[in-house]
Amino acid sequence: MSILEIKNVTSGYGEVQILWGMNISPEEGKLTCLVGGNGVGKTTLLRTIMGLNRTWQGSITFGGQDITHSPAYAKADLGLVLVPEGRQLFTDMTVQENLEIGATNQRAHGKYQQNLERVFALFPRLKERAVQKAGTLSGGEQQMVAVGRGIMADPRLLMIDELSLGLAPVLTLQLFETLRQLRKEGLTIVLVEQNVQMALAVGDYAYVIAEGKSEMEGPAHKLMNDSHVRETYLGL
Amino acid sequence: MNPGGILTSLMDGLLIGVVYGIAAMGLTLIWGVMRVINLAHGAIISLGMFGVYLIFTNFGIHPYLALLLVALAGLLFGMLIYYITIARVINAPYLSTLLATFAINMIFIGLGTAVFTTTPRDAGFSLGNVSLGPVTLQGTRLVAALVTLLVTGGLYFFLYRTRPGKFVRAVANNRAAAELMGIPSARILALSFGIGTMLAAIAGGLIATFFSFNILSGDIYQQKSFIIGVLGGLGNPVGALLGGLILGALEGLLPLVMPNTWVPVIEFVLFIVILLVRPSGLLGGKSE
Ligand SMILES: Nc1ncnc2c1ncn2[C@@H]1O[C@H](COP(=O)(O)OP(=O)(O)OP(=O)(O)O)[C@@H](O)[C@H]1O
Ligand SMILES: [Mg+2]
Repeated sequence: MSILEIKNVTSGYGEVQILWGMNISPEEGKLTCLVGGNGVGKTTLLRTIMGLNRTWQGSITFGGQDITHSPAYAKADLGLVLVPEGRQLFTDMTVQENLEIGATNQRAHGKYQQNLERVFALFPRLKERAVQKAGTLSGGEQQMVAVGRGIMADPRLLMIDELSLGLAPVLTLQLFETLRQLRKEGLTIVLVEQNVQMALAVGDYAYVIAEGKSEMEGPAHKLMNDSHVRETYLGL
Repeated sequence: MNPGGILTSLMDGLLIGVVYGIAAMGLTLIWGVMRVINLAHGAIISLGMFGVYLIFTNFGIHPYLALLLVALAGLLFGMLIYYITIARVINAPYLSTLLATFAINMIFIGLGTAVFTTTPRDAGFSLGNVSLGPVTLQGTRLVAALVTLLVTGGLYFFLYRTRPGKFVRAVANNRAAAELMGIPSARILALSFGIGTMLAAIAGGLIATFFSFNILSGDIYQQKSFIIGVLGGLGNPVGALLGGLILGALEGLLPLVMPNTWVPVIEFVLFIVILLVRPSGLLGGKSE
């Protein structure tokens, strides 16, 4: 069953239309990848799902509930959580405070201690840096905070926009390993990722986005072997 | 000149400087959280003065109890102002919010002038003097400084130790991310504007316990708040308090060596020099 259903969604910025009838429905308990070139509207789609951009047309349902026009802050209470592109940390606040704010929503509030231990187990580095201002961390550490903050929100669906952008290969591998682990624990994940090869390797299902639409979809391992995908996105 | 006189002038300056600090704190908090330059700040300081004055003279309620009521009214009033006006232009360019607060200022000053005229008012309240060696200080000013320190401490506790306070800092830092984490940022902005307004009202209320005033008096404190904001770094509450102390010390000491009329000139020269040399504020702090 799909936990999130995007039907014919259009959206954009001001007068400029970016999404042209997007259709996507990630399955519960699965890791769904969204891949595609630069500027095709992946980030815009995630922002629209969260309510940071207004949905012009179409509908968005989450767990059977219509959330097309509900405000961004109400999404976290439902368990719909985004780790945004560019991390968007609270740079003037400490690592601990960032994680605390992550646990703001009603679902997560009571599970604060439990989720904090989970995050510190995944990223022991963050425990060492707990009282440091997030803005003074290295890029990799900041990405850990971003993912950790998302986990603190106790998501039913965790959407991650660019997990590995700008990170060293070792850390990229580590973050993908974390993702695999979360997926094994039963978390539903939507992943937007530049590193298409790694994304398809870890994902269950994938959509190829082009020009504001989903152009192609299928099981991740099938897309990995698709000649069009190999040529266009894997450079093979 | 005798050292006792100098010391008294300095202490007087510092005690009023603390009150400047709390006025500036309100201005700086609103800027820090929502990037709005609140030109209605001075008018609200004036309203705070009238609040304490009217409650005291009409109902005989003790000025410091009146101050508590004025603070609470300031908080609610600020939130109301936010929802009625600022919320509508909060996402527009700076000029729109600037004009909106300027309009609010004109309305308050206009109404205030019509209702209260510009005749000076005096609460006629005194706590006597306190003498420490060669220094003699007005009791009301001492209490004002004390109240300010308490309020500053309270603001810090709120911002760094309480959940809503952390929400305020989160929204100030990254509004979209705060929304994503489930914080209703519009409500937090309203609360922040309310607190900023409350601080202005408290400053006004305290000033009314030792100076005479009229509806236009708040404007001077707004100007000083801008100087202090630049001194201490806009968006930095402790910087505001320190900036207030520096300005107060100048105002206490400068008149000993030059005519009083030159003091504002020196202050604004200082303002411009700091803007040129250290736009982020003399005491650090963040700026755009
Ligand atoms: N705030 C904005 N205002 C106007 N246009 C924007 C804005 N943000 C993005 N766009 C435009 O929308 C289009 C889609 O951008 P989007 O960020 O959704 O792409 P993307 O698929 O996430 O790309 P990338 O892989 O580079 O992150 C781009 O052409 C971009 O220039
Ligand atoms: Mg993107």
